[in-house]
Amino acid sequence: MGAVCHTLSRICTPGRAANFEIRMNSARIVGKSVPRKEGRDKVTGKSHYVDDMVLPNMLFGATVRSQIPRGRIKKISFAAGINWDEFVIVSAKDIPGKNCISLIGDDQPCLANEIVSHPEEPILLLAHPDRHCLAKAVQAVEIEYEPWLAIFTIEESEHRSETVWGNDNVFKTYVIEKGDVDSIWAKADFIVEAEYTTGAQEQLYIENNGMIAAFDADKGITVWGSLQCPYYIHKALMALCNLPAEKVRVVQMETGGAFGGKEEYPSIIAAHAALLAIKSGRPVKLVYDRMEDMAATTKRHPSRTRHRTAVSKDGKILGGEIEFTIDGGAYLTLSPVVLSRGAIHAGGPYYWPSIRILAKAVATNAPPHGAFRGFGAPQSLFAMERHMDRIAQVVGLSPTEVRRRNFLQPGETTTTEQIVREQIDLKKLLDRALHISEYQEKKLRFTKENQHGNIRKGMGIAAFLHGAGFTGSGERYLSSVVGVEGCADGNVCVLVSSTEFGQGTKTILSQIAAEALGLPYESVCLAQADTMEVPNSGPTVASRTAMVVGKLVQSAALGIRQTLISSNLLRESYSLDEFRRACKQYVKEHGEFRSWSRYEPPTGVFWDDEKYRGEAYAAYAWAVYVAEVTIDLTTYSVSVDDFVALQEVGKVLHPLLAEGQVVGGVAQAIGFALYEKVVWQNGRMQNSQMTNYIMPTASDLPPIRVFFEELGNVYGAYGAKGIGELPMDGPAPAIVNAIEDALGVSFDSIPLLPEDIMDRLNANGMALASQENGGGGR
Amino acid sequence: MRSNPSDYELAAPGNLQAIVSLIGSEPGKWLPIAGGTDVMVQYAAGKLPALKLLNIWNLPELRRIEVSADEIRIGAGSTYTDLRKNSIVENEFPLLASAARWTGGIANQNRGTIGGNIVNASPAADSLPALLVYDADLILVSVRGERRVTYASFHTGYKKTLLAQDELVKAVCLPRRFSEYFAYARKVGARKAQAIAKVCIAAAGRVVNGSAEDVRIALGSVAPVPLRLTGTEKTVNGKIISADLLRLARQTAAADIRPIDDIRSTARYRTAVAGNLVVEFLTRLNAEQASGDFREAKDVLTKWNALSRDEAIKTILPCCGSRAWAHGMASHRPLTDEAALLAASSDVWRSLTTSDWVEAFQSHPRIGESRAEQPPPAQSVEWSTQEQRAIADADAAVKKALADANREYERRFNRIFIVCAGGKSAGEILEILQRRLNNNADTELQEAAEQQRQITELRLRKWLQG
Amino acid sequence: MSNSVGSRSKVNISLTVNGEPKTLSVYPMERLLDVLRLDLGLTGAKEGCGEGECGSCSVLMDGMLVNSCLVPVLQSAGSNIVTIEGLQAGETLHALQQAFLDCGGAQCGICTPGMILAASHLLSAIPEPTSEEIREGLAGNLCRCTGYSQIVEAVAEAARRRMTP
Repeated sequence: MGAVCHTLSRICTPGRAANFEIRMNSARIVGKSVPRKEGRDKVTGKSHYVDDMVLPNMLFGATVRSQIPRGRIKKISFAAGINWDEFVIVSAKDIPGKNCISLIGDDQPCLANEIVSHPEEPILLLAHPDRHCLAKAVQAVEIEYEPWLAIFTIEESEHRSETVWGNDNVFKTYVIEKGDVDSIWAKADFIVEAEYTTGAQEQLYIENNGMIAAFDADKGITVWGSLQCPYYIHKALMALCNLPAEKVRVVQMETGGAFGGKEEYPSIIAAHAALLAIKSGRPVKLVYDRMEDMAATTKRHPSRTRHRTAVSKDGKILGGEIEFTIDGGAYLTLSPVVLSRGAIHAGGPYYWPSIRILAKAVATNAPPHGAFRGFGAPQSLFAMERHMDRIAQVVGLSPTEVRRRNFLQPGETTTTEQIVREQIDLKKLLDRALHISEYQEKKLRFTKENQHGNIRKGMGIAAFLHGAGFTGSGERYLSSVVGVEGCADGNVCVLVSSTEFGQGTKTILSQIAAEALGLPYESVCLAQADTMEVPNSGPTVASRTAMVVGKLVQSAALGIRQTLISSNLLRESYSLDEFRRACKQYVKEHGEFRSWSRYEPPTGVFWDDEKYRGEAYAAYAWAVYVAEVTIDLTTYSVSVDDFVALQEVGKVLHPLLAEGQVVGGVAQAIGFALYEKVVWQNGRMQNSQMTNYIMPTASDLPPIRVFFEELGNVYGAYGAKGIGELPMDGPAPAIVNAIEDALGVSFDSIPLLPEDIMDRLNANGMALASQENGGGGR
Repeated sequence: MRSNPSDYELAAPGNLQAIVSLIGSEPGKWLPIAGGTDVMVQYAAGKLPALKLLNIWNLPELRRIEVSADEIRIGAGSTYTDLRKNSIVENEFPLLASAARWTGGIANQNRGTIGGNIVNASPAADSLPALLVYDADLILVSVRGERRVTYASFHTGYKKTLLAQDELVKAVCLPRRFSEYFAYARKVGARKAQAIAKVCIAAAGRVVNGSAEDVRIALGSVAPVPLRLTGTEKTVNGKIISADLLRLARQTAAADIRPIDDIRSTARYRTAVAGNLVVEFLTRLNAEQASGDFREAKDVLTKWNALSRDEAIKTILPCCGSRAWAHGMASHRPLTDEAALLAASSDVWRSLTTSDWVEAFQSHPRIGESRAEQPPPAQSVEWSTQEQRAIADADAAVKKALADANREYERRFNRIFIVCAGGKSAGEILEILQRRLNNNADTELQEAAEQQRQITELRLRKWLQG
Repeated sequence: MSNSVGSRSKVNISLTVNGEPKTLSVYPMERLLDVLRLDLGLTGAKEGCGEGECGSCSVLMDGMLVNSCLVPVLQSAGSNIVTIEGLQAGETLHALQQAFLDCGGAQCGICTPGMILAASHLLSAIPEPTSEEIREGLAGNLCRCTGYSQIVEAVAEAARRRMTP
């Protein structure tokens, strides 16, 4: 039975604060599946998401958006039939500071002034006391445009028939070089070349984007909303509203899913709500409905990867070139960083004696693409893992054997020449995944079963890695700060800007602090992510929360303990009651009790930003995934019938949460591979409703089986590495590899829909109809 | 929400006569709304032009199902859940029952109505092909009285119907003459639930003296209206279903339909899949007994051969408990008789992996207990109870010895003890268990697997007996 | 259900919500979802899509699972509505709520109220569902975080607990 491989552990010490001796090492909270901190509120409907909040005197906002992909605004008029006096109207001219959404660059306007660069680009903002009046008003704003030619694909962008950004439509390039690539072609027994593409994907958090903003001349601007990164918004609002840091306050509400879709985008909706609040002098709630959210906000970058690989006759990679290109949409946003991660992961978990990776992000007139779980790696790893199966075919090896012969070993260097220092044994990981999934036995059985009937079954694998934390010098640049507070009531509070949006931030950071202090889990909580109350522990992205922020929480917590001990208020070993007394005493004496910890980059770790070489990430998680698929030739539909996800993640801080993250990520990636297609027309998403943008339901997915290995990690809290994004990288290529196993046909583009499979089988003379007519086939 | 509720009227006269009067006096001004699963979506999107709505939800005159000797009269206000719960619909009109199961999710089935589906007239609607196959009539009502029209004549163009501006659909009438027909339905959507059909098919027919008779085939999403493939039906009826006929049927089907490219799919996909579904239907029809007599002992197997793959897997699973076994058996269809069924079962069973075997073992309760580890289907539970009857009746000392030996077995082999209990006394089973406790792991696995194979055979025989 | 001919004014509607009788003055075409959230302050039901696809607005209406974003409030007159807020008995959580906590069934929590109500509806029809039956019963409730496995576990666990007191 495909039941999830996790024994329900009994919940630890539910709610009893009894008087017991606590020794530092014996309180094993980390590694246990303790209750989710905010779980009770979630199952009782008490959690407060932004749309649940109502402020007195509140207005409702709406956005007037461009209907064309590119051009100049000639005229804006307000049709009759609407009482415009009742509305607050904001345009670019109302922006107190800089008309931009400050992120990496400042090229994205908050509101289009004269030029529009993508469909759905925001132009005007409206607010009204009655939310029901807004839709009609938005329709009644008449905008005359002078349309310009627009571009929509990577190829169009490269051809530069239109230059829509900068001088050459190129947001960013990277070149990663190792060894002497140009000399290996002559030595190769095989040169394997192919192109792989992936489409846009919508994050589809079930809670749409939303913000509430309020402005007060003394206090400044406050925004509450659905978000991942309070300090990104804080920075953006400072520039936009021309306000100093202490006059901008960002508060995270309970957030209903994010997946990267609420990393940078919320700065835009917060900016809009803020402008309306400033102009009206009243609080403003701006919440999108599903159609607007899907059409207007960020999606995963579409990609094109070209591989050219020199291979020896025993299947060893001698070297190669990888050209990795992503479509960034109309503005820079985070494309350089997505590009970076995609480029660094493009070589997969393999040893490349030499390689040249040419990466570029290009501009088109689509709404800007943005962060989505995996952040470039799912795209480049799709290509790499499909390519390994292709190499296997060319050389005449099995998919498993070709990988065995090329896996990175401890002591070898990655594509950026980072030495693999940990004792990861990828061959063993592969063996274990094959064993659990019964890969060989099933392949044998399927070969027989595929001889008759209209069902074809196949098995596919993917091996991959995912670097945790910010790339290279990123973490140093972030310089995250974490606080732990001893409260007046004797409890402990963790102060971080890291946010909870389902992945368990509140739970694991509480576990870490509790473990470090030797206190029960119930004694620790997280402060609400409010920029007025918490320091900047960096954005909640890049699978860095457990590893990087967790480590800082650990040291800040130890700081609390150390302070009490060195103040002679506590001995080395103490009970909960003793801690509480000491903490209360300290607060009484000093007024406040906070311990801070700031990120320090580890010594002996180097990264060259110019050459893009060195230790790209402090730690990698490693994985082998196995997919079993069934294709019904009557309908060409693919179903995933079994899925094994095996990964090495350093340390599993919370088994239930970790497993939940993997299952959820695999489900999203199955959507990426087989179900989720964005239908574009002139840069606009046509299927911007849940009826026509298809994500899998409970009936569509198998039980996803999750297994862990733990090698530890010196850089992470209690040995943890990041796991949030890893599960997104493997399923798509594993599935498409399985489809090839079943059908004997190679697909190199996702999403892969039944229509695509049918078209190809028809072309190959393999569809049922052509078989009846005596066409080709098995 | 892109509409303003204060712009809309929703009148609720409360009974059919008053409703009919109202729309009679203001024809074309009122939009009836029943479960709202179409109207409210348009409303929320700001795309509902009608401002005057008329509540027809849960009206007793519309939400009823009446059965007479000759026909079933389904009130237009009946929900999909109402249809699923009705035994006549379930037994005699399986095409409609399937469509009800496949529409949306449970929440939308609780509110969507058959009348709404009919009047909304989407060519993709799930239940409409079934109505075409079953020669449905509609009862329409207005101030001028009631009239009865054939459903076949109801759709006059894309989202256009015969309904006059002042008329409502009151009921759908289906003649009760299809229970002896082989029925086949399939929906092809983007996912297994909550999907608009890319293609859907409802079909029925018989084989008489070796030839196809009264075959009727209807498809959705392949034309501006739900479509009877009359050309294909003509091609097929009266002929023996041979490979050549299947080829011809596919070609005629392609000529009958007029699919388009749209946001969900392509014309060529729809054509190819429509052809595949027609061929699948005819192939399964052909697997039926020529005499079409459903009271033969073979009919369990015949019916099973004709089921959709998912249904076939679900139906046969209780005989063994291993999903892989059920999948394998489904792939072996059609199976002609008991001998072939049992042979296939042994073949498939022997080709499975250890974990498949263990999955089957786990579907049994411990010998002497009543509850298995995983909740198996009800049929499985019933069979287990019958199989272990001897234990239930045994004396206390033997029961205790069995319980102890069971525990010992589980300790040693890490799974429950499997034995084909039928026909054996409790004492005999205890002896077997004690002997097998001494087996090494490999031998014991083989023995357990063989026992399971025998259990499966027993169950398959029982299943065939109906 | 009122006998009055419609007009663009508000109407009085009486219904029972979580066991309490309520009388509201509302426009008949207001969505039940909005009335629950805004007029009654029961914000557990959420709007995820506005088109009856995601199920995060699910409530029980006379024991039937419905998508409240598709119900004009007039049609709920006289009915018995149960929302997530009405599921627990005082401080004691419903078996499903507890099982969701113990099995990881809630991550971001936005689909959770609708999901739990859908599961409750399923268990009232099928007290001991197989995992296939659970998946089918919850197919109208979308979850983007969990991939459904731990939700299915939670429902199976709740069913087990209720069957073995």
